[in-house]
Amino acid sequence: MSEQEQERFEAELRRTQPAPVPRKFMDRLQAADPSIHAAQRGRRQPATEWTHWWRLARWLAPALAAVAVAFLIGHANSGSKSNPADKPLVAAAGLKANDVQVDHELVSSFDVVATLPGGEPVRFRCRKWKDQLLVTDKSSGVEIEQNSPRIEVMPVRFETY
Amino acid sequence: MNSGSRHELPAESDWEQWLARYAPALLLFARQQTGCEADAQDLVQEAIVESWRRQSQAAPPPLALVYATIRRRAIDLARRDDRRANREVAAHLDGPECWFDAGADERERNVLIQKAMTNLPEIYRQVVTLKVWGGLTFSEIAEALDIPANTAASRYRNGLIELRALTKEVFT
Repeated sequence: MSEQEQERFEAELRRTQPAPVPRKFMDRLQAADPSIHAAQRGRRQPATEWTHWWRLARWLAPALAAVAVAFLIGHANSGSKSNPADKPLVAAAGLKANDVQVDHELVSSFDVVATLPGGEPVRFRCRKWKDQLLVTDKSSGVEIEQNSPRIEVMPVRFETY
Repeated sequence: MNSGSRHELPAESDWEQWLARYAPALLLFARQQTGCEADAQDLVQEAIVESWRRQSQAAPPPLALVYATIRRRAIDLARRDDRRANREVAAHLDGPECWFDAGADERERNVLIQKAMTNLPEIYRQVVTLKVWGGLTFSEIAEALDIPANTAASRYRNGLIELRALTKEVFT
């Protein structure tokens, strides 16, 4: 095809116009004016950032609370275990344990709903346990029983409750 | 509208004028990409709005960007099996859309051109459509189709040769 033929053919093709946009679709396009969307987006932008931090804080706060509670309980338990008064007593008595029983008993279970500063409810599942240790020395007729209360706090997703 | 705003957008009349000028060719391209009128309209709307949003200034988006968005979205659409099935059903129900202005005296001619365009390989059809009806340069076509400009030019030439052969009965 020569250049002139090509130009003639292109001109013929250009005579054929694309079909006009259906009226309903044109109305839809006109309604989708980007200036409206841009304005909405501009308004929504700070809310989106705020929501991002809010979502983070929503789960970070209970998680930190749970970690703090666990740390305190752990610290309290380790403190009681490392109590220098207990060890010398057992060691000094020269006990030979015939039987050691370790048990834990669920004392109570309950849910607590807290409200974050923003008004968002957060649910915690609390379980109160009693850990028991029973050491028996039949030869000397000694029986030592230790009961340690323990509280387990777990954040629960509010929606799945 | 505040003329000093950084995100200044065109007046409503400008938006309408822009649509009136370019929407028919954009819809033609989208119709060729999807084969379903509903999907084609959705693609055009999404592509225009998305491209316009990417612009930080009041100026309308480059046409090549809008066409490129339509093409990418059409590829995404085709990859979704469920949508593809729906499209096939919809296409069956809708029937073939007229790609070209069906004026009373040239209706038959336009139908034949549409048929010839349908039979044209896609790589040629895209370039011919963007060049003839979209009014893009080869550089813009290259950008829209993500191909080198030389490839766009050679595809256009080959496409015209093939289209001419397919439309012998129209252009004697």
